Amino acid sequence: MTRKPQSCREIEADLVAAATGDAESGAARRVERHIDSCASCRGEFHRYREIDGVVGALRRVPAVAESMARAREGLESRLADLRSRLVSYRIFPSPLGHILIARSEHGVSLVEYLGGRSDLAASRLSRVSGVEPQEDGAEIEALFRELLEYLRGDRTRLEWALDLRLARSDFHRAVLRATAAVPYGAVTSYAGIAAEIGRPAATRAVAQALRWNPLPIVVPCHRIIGSSGALTGYSGNKIELKRDLLAVEGVRAVGARDAHVTRQALYHYERNEQREYCLPTCGDIARRPIGRVTLMASRDLAESLGLVPCTSCRPDLHPLAV
Amino acid sequence: MMGAQPFETIVGAHHAEIYRYIRRVTSRPTEAEDLSQETFLRAYRAYRTLGPEANVRAWLFAIATNLTRNHFRSEKRRRVALQAASLERREADPDGPEDEARFGEARVLVTRTVGRLPLKQRQAFIMRKIHELDYEAIGQSLDCSAESARAHVFQALRKIRLSLDGQALSPTTTEQPR
Repeated sequence: MTRKPQSCREIEADLVAAATGDAESGAARRVERHIDSCASCRGEFHRYREIDGVVGALRRVPAVAESMARAREGLESRLADLRSRLVSYRIFPSPLGHILIARSEHGVSLVEYLGGRSDLAASRLSRVSGVEPQEDGAEIEALFRELLEYLRGDRTRLEWALDLRLARSDFHRAVLRATAAVPYGAVTSYAGIAAEIGRPAATRAVAQALRWNPLPIVVPCHRIIGSSGALTGYSGNKIELKRDLLAVEGVRAVGARDAHVTRQALYHYERNEQREYCLPTCGDIARRPIGRVTLMASRDLAESLGLVPCTSCRPDLHPLAV
Repeated sequence: MMGAQPFETIVGAHHAEIYRYIRRVTSRPTEAEDLSQETFLRAYRAYRTLGPEANVRAWLFAIATNLTRNHFRSEKRRRVALQAASLERREADPDGPEDEARFGEARVLVTRTVGRLPLKQRQAFIMRKIHELDYEAIGQSLDCSAESARAHVFQALRKIRLSLDGQALSPTTTEQPR
């Protein structure tokens, strides 16, 4: 190729752009002026026009349907797999130490006390298989705000869709579901939950399942205590936290390590056809094991559950002092 | 902020085009299948954080462009791909022969030259000339300015022009697409 004049070299990029429909109007005008007087560049311009035509034809070449369909099909299945594995989480500082909240596309799957640590490695999310944790923002922050409101007592319900897949077995899931049904301000026992799920002999297994509760606070395992009224364990050694969570709901406990709920301050309900609830002083109801008897912090709660005042002890006439 | 549309809609609207783009860049159907899937899996992970105003199409092209570049980064793969592009396409690409019969030699030559371009030029060229993305989006995909993106396309066209030197373009290929 012979060496082109300076003016031709300078305009080359614009010429290529203009010939392939890609030039701004000023550049296109410059190119037009130039090729009016330069035969060699005019030839080049037309050559690029031709190339642009070939490229335009390539644009219209259809892709091979078979391979594309296979790609799409494979994508659908890999996407479904990813969706089931993907768990987004965030870690927040809170009055209870760091709390991790995680959710899948099905619902909230983990609320975890991390104590002083604030990294994913401290969480069980980093240890379960088949889960891909992904740090996330706004959506989980909204959950955390609700949780804080709940802990302050400004909210009595966390109406979250739950994903119980991080529970260890179907038995654990059954325990968690029964526990989730225990209302705010009510208390029952491990034996009570065991009876509820039709496994009355499985009290210890129920306690174990709640020890692994992936959703503390949300699935209110703090409302499940020993049949005698002892708070027993909570998330390792956080018995005080259990006591605090119950106190927010109006269920008081006395004692430190051997904390017990104060039955004298709670309404009692033992299943009966009339659905009557009682004062703790009604007959010997206060001596029956918790679990057979459900304890409740307020008459409002009892009545919201469809219970009516006992006609002999009349909790409606002699309400417990708050 | 969650993207404005359900992700299924995004897949439905863009998968075919992203597949075609990667296929054109890699010249190989199996890689196009895999990398187009990877593109959407990666997009799914990040979709929640995408603003509602975002240009989803340009964003997907950027993901596909990066994945393809990473894919080619391994020297070995690069060699294999170069071979695939320069060998008879019918070996690597089942629709090659059909192309050839239908569209004549000029198109085959252009395709082959595009297949031999350096990756950035090839990606820029295909994004601009086949998928008609604007230079701003192409620059973002390639992690360069819109001006550099434009320069890549220019260089690509120049090389195509040189590869066709002395080659008569048949009348059927000179019809104007516009």
